[in-house]
Amino acid sequence: MVQGERVPTVAVLALSLLASMVGPGRLSGQSGETDLPELATRLAALTAVTGYEQRLVDSIVALLPGAVRDRAGNGVIVLGSGERRRLVACPVSEPGFVVGRIRDDGWLTLRRAPGRVAPGFERQIEGQRVSLFGRRGAVPGVVAVRSIHLTRGRGTPPASTFTLDSAYVDIGAATRAGAGVAGVEVLTPVALAKRPQRYGPDLLAAPVVARRSACAALVLAARRAIAEQGMVPRGQSVVVAFVVEQELLGRGLATVATTRGPFAETVLVDGGAGTPGLVTRTADSLARRWPTLGTVTRWSLGARYLGTPVETTSFAGADSLQRALGRWIGGGQ
Amino acid sequence: MSGAGTRPMRAAVRLAVALVAMATVAGGGQALAQEAARLRSVEKVLAPLVESHGVSGMEAPVRETVQRLLPAWARTETDTAGNLWLTMGKGEPTVVFVAHLDEIGFTVTAIRDDGTLDAVAAGGLFPWLWQGQPALVHTGGRTVPAVFAPRDTARPPPAADADTVVRVDPGTGSRAATEALGVRPGNTVTSPKRYVRLLGTRATGRSFDDRVGSASLVLAARALDPARLGHTVIFIWSVREEIGLEGARAAAAALGLRPARVHAIDTFVSADSPLERPNFALAPLGRGPVARALDNSAVTPPAYVDSLVAFARSRRLPLQVGTTNGGNDGSAFTDWGVPDVPIGWPLRYSHSPVELVDLRDVAGLADIVRALAEGW
Repeated sequence: MVQGERVPTVAVLALSLLASMVGPGRLSGQSGETDLPELATRLAALTAVTGYEQRLVDSIVALLPGAVRDRAGNGVIVLGSGERRRLVACPVSEPGFVVGRIRDDGWLTLRRAPGRVAPGFERQIEGQRVSLFGRRGAVPGVVAVRSIHLTRGRGTPPASTFTLDSAYVDIGAATRAGAGVAGVEVLTPVALAKRPQRYGPDLLAAPVVARRSACAALVLAARRAIAEQGMVPRGQSVVVAFVVEQELLGRGLATVATTRGPFAETVLVDGGAGTPGLVTRTADSLARRWPTLGTVTRWSLGARYLGTPVETTSFAGADSLQRALGRWIGGGQ
Repeated sequence: MSGAGTRPMRAAVRLAVALVAMATVAGGGQALAQEAARLRSVEKVLAPLVESHGVSGMEAPVRETVQRLLPAWARTETDTAGNLWLTMGKGEPTVVFVAHLDEIGFTVTAIRDDGTLDAVAAGGLFPWLWQGQPALVHTGGRTVPAVFAPRDTARPPPAADADTVVRVDPGTGSRAATEALGVRPGNTVTSPKRYVRLLGTRATGRSFDDRVGSASLVLAARALDPARLGHTVIFIWSVREEIGLEGARAAAAALGLRPARVHAIDTFVSADSPLERPNFALAPLGRGPVARALDNSAVTPPAYVDSLVAFARSRRLPLQVGTTNGGNDGSAFTDWGVPDVPIGWPLRYSHSPVELVDLRDVAGLADIVRALAEGW
């Protein structure tokens, strides 16, 4: 039984607990394999709709002693103090919705948060449970769907005709005031309720799970570098950034580029279509837009069913990414 | 009359008004607390039932949950069809209440070389509401986590009444590895389920149809004193309703002419949603159970409807009267001339992953089941 959902609060507390349990000193002697599935699963359970990522960023900052939130809302930590700067960044944002209107009868209608989305993205919420992140914490709701019984014999094509304009969110409120009491208002972020699913030998399925797993790998690589002072080569510094609003013209990354650059090189870690767990490295053209990023390489953690609620990646792949990031922070390739 | 003389009187009036207000608030507060406690007791029965998995033909986990929730005095029997029976009292008339244990879901039809599964719908559902969602394969011995493969977004979703095939991915990569998990054709597939309380008195989850009916029988049994029943009351938790009332047919055949009447305790699919046409089936949530007077399987004799309404009024029990779509287990008894008087509760978003109820309706359903069992 669930009495509502307090996903962010619980998750932040859990992450804080994780941080206290695996302090940098303890982590330094570990391979990372122990913690990565746990952290990847916890990050996959959090929601960070584009423009409303602060709870997730705060959770990550809490895991990295010395990290700060910059003016754009990115989580940033600088390792080392040398002049030659390198950047490694992981986006934290995800596509989602905000409440567009609250009807007098308590139903809510939606507007999509800006940015690129996968085809069919909006249809993913039809008849599903969602979480609304209101002023008083997370509020569970459902997106209305037609009752199949009532479509019979009425000449109604039963195929889905769902669009965002037919998305009515039901949180149990019978009036506009009832929604307000729960802290839900216009602009409250809305996303599918997260329920990461472990399956197969070492697979994890959840919305944007490859991106979250990539960020988990970067968190753990950075924690190890913090614990092992001197890991960054002398004369160099590495900026580790968890960037916001990636779908919105990469605003978070742009802020890092303009305020922390110039960089000799940049690694952008993210999820991408491919075999679950396979890490691919490709040159990226981001430097054309922001030359201060230097040479940009995208490291993509492969995912099956990319862009769906069951996007799937593997722990082994994330662990491989974590090790590679550790080597890169240490000056290797 | 001087102002000085009226002051004590005004003070006394104010005090009296305040006392009345406090008493009212205290009384109201007490009523609210009682209502909250009542709904909590409903949830303690409903939640474990909703979170049990039991696609048609594989109802054992739900049946075991019902047995666990029944009072200690209850001696149940399971018939060869899988129906669970609880017989109380002695003598005639015999009154039967039926709620079904099973839920819609999927049945595995084949295992592909890549280890993924083909599965068809068991019961009426919109398959695209499951595609791209987490899945659980029930082998009978274990539960295997998996995912429903996302639908092909380049093609329109298939018609709901087609012999729908969905693909289930247990992440094994090969037929042998899938079979090593114990997965076989005939296994059932559901999505992970949670009972979730919403604002106010509302709750959501998968399979309220018909775990609400099952819960109401459990709650009624807890409230009944079988020693004080002056006639025979039979509660049946039936199987395979969603695929053709199969369990109810077996129970009806076993009872034959004996029942004086049967009450199917099952969903009233309500049009109480912005997506539905309100031409019929508009039973608002929170206004009590519904006499399901006409559906696709049965028509309640009008005299019984009138009598039921009068009975509910005499007991101050909320009751709506309406008509909706679907069939009910009670109709399986009508071949023996047994009057079918089905009672439901308003449900939104039927047969979806997010069915939604008002807990006051569930409590009201249990109340009316108990009252009808004791004497109508």
